[in-house]
Amino acid sequence: MLRRSPLLLAALLAYPIVIALLVGLVAGYASAKPRVAFVDEDGLPPVVTVAGHSFHIRSVVDQVAKEVTLVRLGPDEASRELASGKVVATITVPPGFVGKLLTTVRTPSLILRTGSGGLAPRVTQQVQALVYRLNNKLQQGYISANLVFVRLLLHGGAGSFLGRHFDVLGLDGTQKLLEGVPPSKRVAAIQRFVRVARVGLAQTGAALHATAHPIALAQPKQKGRTWVLSAQVQSYGIALTVTFLALLLAAGAAAAEQEEGTLGRLRRGLASPGQLVWSKVALASVVGLGLGAAIAVLFGIVAEAGGVSGGEPWARLPLLFAGVLLAAAVVGAAGTLLGALAREPRTASLLAVLVVLPVVFLGLVPRGALAAAWWVSELLPFSHAVRFIGAALYDTSPWRAVGTQALWLAGLGAVYWFLARRGMRTLAG
Amino acid sequence: MSRPLVRAVGVARRYGDVVALAPTDVELVPGETVALVGPNGAGKSTLLALLAGALEPSEGAVDVQARVGWVPQRPAHYARLSARENLELFAQLEGVGEPRVAAQQLLDRFALPGEDRPSGELSVGNRQRLNVALSLLGEPQVLLLDEPTAALDPGQRRRVWDVVNALRGEGGAVCFATQNLEEIDHADRVLVLLDGRVVTSSPEEVFG
Repeated sequence: MLRRSPLLLAALLAYPIVIALLVGLVAGYASAKPRVAFVDEDGLPPVVTVAGHSFHIRSVVDQVAKEVTLVRLGPDEASRELASGKVVATITVPPGFVGKLLTTVRTPSLILRTGSGGLAPRVTQQVQALVYRLNNKLQQGYISANLVFVRLLLHGGAGSFLGRHFDVLGLDGTQKLLEGVPPSKRVAAIQRFVRVARVGLAQTGAALHATAHPIALAQPKQKGRTWVLSAQVQSYGIALTVTFLALLLAAGAAAAEQEEGTLGRLRRGLASPGQLVWSKVALASVVGLGLGAAIAVLFGIVAEAGGVSGGEPWARLPLLFAGVLLAAAVVGAAGTLLGALAREPRTASLLAVLVVLPVVFLGLVPRGALAAAWWVSELLPFSHAVRFIGAALYDTSPWRAVGTQALWLAGLGAVYWFLARRGMRTLAG
Repeated sequence: MSRPLVRAVGVARRYGDVVALAPTDVELVPGETVALVGPNGAGKSTLLALLAGALEPSEGAVDVQARVGWVPQRPAHYARLSARENLELFAQLEGVGEPRVAAQQLLDRFALPGEDRPSGELSVGNRQRLNVALSLLGEPQVLLLDEPTAALDPGQRRRVWDVVNALRGEGGAVCFATQNLEEIDHADRVLVLLDGRVVTSSPEEVFG
């Protein structure tokens, strides 16, 4: 049979290879950069000068972007995205950060908030590394500032501290003064102290270079969504269910009509090929909407019960339902096409399952992993459904994203509908 | 001569390189019954499906001037719906005024089970009766029957021929395919098909 069906043979050989590649790509995503929000509430200047040492603080911060994808967001948006799981952590530069840094005597804090996802420990490590790098850079400025005071103590002179100006005699001046004082046991003791102090302070520079951690990392507890309730899981969960169900249902319905012979009856002027496609699309849409809505409501209830914040589990349901309905309709049209090609329900079901897996895996491949896979995924409805649902539930201003994805879905739906209509005509004729 | 109720001119059907039916001319005039006879694969079912409009011709055209009822060779109904639900659904699609009444009449006429049992679970004979009953929705003037008595008991066969004879008597036309040479006695005219073509041989010659 396989010898007579070279196409089937090729498909059977290629399918596991394609699936293996896609699984590899998706698995590779686990080692891809996590998305971290960067909130600058202090308005970091491009260059900060600490004790006469200038350094580009932004460039240091950007170095961390080699390890994670830093997304600059406002505080509210960052909180919302952390709560919904769209970012795995937020790094906040609080107001007054640079001011404290410039005093060189107070320790400013970067605030790291992480979600409860599996990537949180990794992000914490990345941010600890960032703080370490910042500290290394700042260390030079801090040491220089401290050495100014050490030099003042050693050699004396004019100085300032926290805006107050003063003159210091210094150990050199003290020793000179002591040389003019008549010798006595007390004077000798002071002279010994001055010598020891001068030797000791001369080593201060090296000692300061050895230890310096001007920035501490504060990590307040955050009650965000667990990984299970994150935006990604919810979006993928609903989209996957709707895709699988709508494809299988429409493909099965189209093939069943062919097998039962009712398609021939209907084609005798009772229903046009277009109407036949619409009936499958309507079936897939209604059932897809019902199941998608049930899942969304279940997520909402669990989120409410868990008291987790973020997202709009209830207010955005109508928008979510619109997305689910549209996605189910588009997938339903694709399923009808599959059913028309398969001609027989069992083959249609098998074909639908075989198609769903790579479609979903392609949707999971990040753009950076393999551009070609990403582009192929763009021509399939799954990734657009995921983005529509995610935006509908969690974006502060979802309209742009929702509109773009709706246009994509509508365009793909029109193509699938046209092909399915041709398929139904061929099937019936 | 009466104007044909169905007229096929040069109608043909091909599947790739395979010719299921070579260009064929057929006319069904009021008050006549035509039998299509031929061995398996001769093109009888294809010709009936083309005349019924269930299949698009690869070439040629079919002109239909009357309401046509079609009994395909394999019973064609939704297996998960009951006989009553199938009849009501197709009655609605056919634009029958009172679908429930029409369905009940056909259930009674063909002694079909009226309960909610899925039609896919009916016996082969009952499914064939439902198949015939569905073709009568909308009171067609032309009946196209593809081996309509194949799975029926003698009583039900008689009922089918009663339907055929009644329609012919009312000025309708019937075309049926059969491999049972005894059934050609019900026909006014016999068309013998062989390898997708109408031939001049007698049925006895074709079946050897």
